[in-house]
Amino acid sequence: MARTDVALRRVGSEWVLFDSRSDRAHVLNLTAAVVWTYCDGAHDPDTMAAAIAEATGSTAPEAIRSDIEAVIRRFALEGLLQ
Amino acid sequence: MAIAPNRPPFGPTALEDAWAFCEWRATEDVLAAPGLQTVLHAAGVRVAERNVLLVGASGSGKSTLTAALWARGHLVWGDDLVRFAAEDLHFGPFERSFKLDRKALSYLSLDAALGERAIPGTVLASDTLYVSPAAFRRRWEAPVGAAEVVVRLDPSRRRGVARLEPTSEGAAAVEVSQALLGHALTESGRARPELAVRVLEGLRTAVAFEAWGADPAALADAVEAVA
Repeated sequence: MARTDVALRRVGSEWVLFDSRSDRAHVLNLTAAVVWTYCDGAHDPDTMAAAIAEATGSTAPEAIRSDIEAVIRRFALEGLLQ
Repeated sequence: MAIAPNRPPFGPTALEDAWAFCEWRATEDVLAAPGLQTVLHAAGVRVAERNVLLVGASGSGKSTLTAALWARGHLVWGDDLVRFAAEDLHFGPFERSFKLDRKALSYLSLDAALGERAIPGTVLASDTLYVSPAAFRRRWEAPVGAAEVVVRLDPSRRRGVARLEPTSEGAAAVEVSQALLGHALTESGRARPELAVRVLEGLRTAVAFEAWGADPAALADAVEAVA
């Protein structure tokens, strides 16, 4: 689940996560930003993949599941999840 | 009073030294005073109706590029400091002299026009000349507004053909947010989180470029081309 004290802001065509606890910023692409918004404790990678596939018109949610898991692992590695 | 080379520590001082010291002290006071608008370590120029922020460490060429653009008639926010209003996310001018070195003045062929009226720096910046834009042009301040273009300058990229290359808007915005100064910083020297986020919000529609090249006149051409 995403930490509530991490701010997500759009900048141009990218997104920035600002972690005030560590004073670090992380630049995200659109996919990672969407994944972040789904890190609400109510969506697992399967439901995230299904939701993103539906939003983007993709017919293969399983193909994007590995990308989602990689993004979540990176969020966890950076200490952005709780 | 201001420290000057080859002079005793106490005694009469030149008006120019006193002026340079007062401006330095006034800047320090503004940066330290709470409740005022936030100040960023960045330069800002209005080029062709678009506001351009120039960010980079000291020595990256912000002042020289700003002076090159100012000499062409563009309005500026400042060559080293820019105001940021967190309330409306607008950037604006910080009224202070340009700080230019003699090499930059000479290279830009501004020494004849500006050098005579520039004020030498102190021992802390002996090669610096203070040049007041207000002394040469009644209207020099760019109006407050959003920053639409961010140009990242880096001393390591001052080589090769002058050009601007598109770069990560997010990374550029983060660099701007890290340029907060004065009361915008915590005691540990970090930017206050709420202000850093406001800076990011102020750059939500900005496009970003990385500047390459050592020729400030050619870089000014490149900035005019993208703005």
